[in-house]
Amino acid sequence: MAARTFTIDGQLISAREGETILQAARDHGIFIPTLCHLDGVSDVGACRLCLVEIEGSRMLRPACVTPVVEEMVVRTDTVRLREYRRMIIELLFAERNHICAVCVANGHCELQDLAVAVGMDHVRFDYAFPHCDVDISHPLFGVDHNRCVLCTRCVRVCDEVEGVHTWDVAGRGADARVITDMRQPWGESRSCTSCGKCVLACPTGTIFRRGATVGEMERDRNKIAYIVAARDQRW
Amino acid sequence: MLHMLDLIRAGQATAADLEQLEQLCVMVKETSLCGLGQSAPNPVLSTMKYFRQEYETLLADRGRTGETMDG
Repeated sequence: MAARTFTIDGQLISAREGETILQAARDHGIFIPTLCHLDGVSDVGACRLCLVEIEGSRMLRPACVTPVVEEMVVRTDTVRLREYRRMIIELLFAERNHICAVCVANGHCELQDLAVAVGMDHVRFDYAFPHCDVDISHPLFGVDHNRCVLCTRCVRVCDEVEGVHTWDVAGRGADARVITDMRQPWGESRSCTSCGKCVLACPTGTIFRRGATVGEMERDRNKIAYIVAARDQRW
Repeated sequence: MLHMLDLIRAGQATAADLEQLEQLCVMVKETSLCGLGQSAPNPVLSTMKYFRQEYETLLADRGRTGETMDG
């Protein structure tokens, strides 16, 4: 396979032909933030976080869907890009009700990690506070649209890896939601195989395994009394 | 963007809001995937460019930011 040589942030890099800028950058330890990219499934270039500057191109290009070209000069970390990334993350936070403190993914959330990475200390935009539903009709999993960033990872992993395409996106703009089948409750979905790949793919706490939420953390304190009683009986 | 424009129209916006709206417009324009996103902020940006005074007279804090228009 032909090799391609180009520059990222002044660093000379060689990549395989057909590789994307994102892949090449990752191979060389250059961090480009991204939310919608997931190894193993196709890229859509939707989150706009991996946008990079390419010399000679007027537009910013998403690194995850832009193949490397011989001798291209890429910049991934300019002041402009940093500001845009921060604004994008802020808008994601403003668009839904992201309450980290009560989220199952708190501390294991890619959105949260990115917010830290881009240095987001507060959100400068007014929150939209949309009304979002929570669907826990499925016996194993739940989906909380308050936390969804519409990265469509679940849609792609369900379609491309499991081959089912239970998930899809319905609605436009602020009304867009990830849906199961024909927008019926997840528990009533006939196509879902309950494989759980969407739970693995979700970058936030939108799709979660039931039993993981704080409300479901039941403490059975009778067990302590039981153990004490069992001990007393034996000794 | 519409929400921010509404605030300006209602006279509840500050000079900082105006600047933020402009930044948001430029960001949306430059980072958008499709032609709609790339061109939708244009009306706001062009009115800001050519009719900036009209925006500024509607600001809530114009008295404090060195108002000179009405003397």
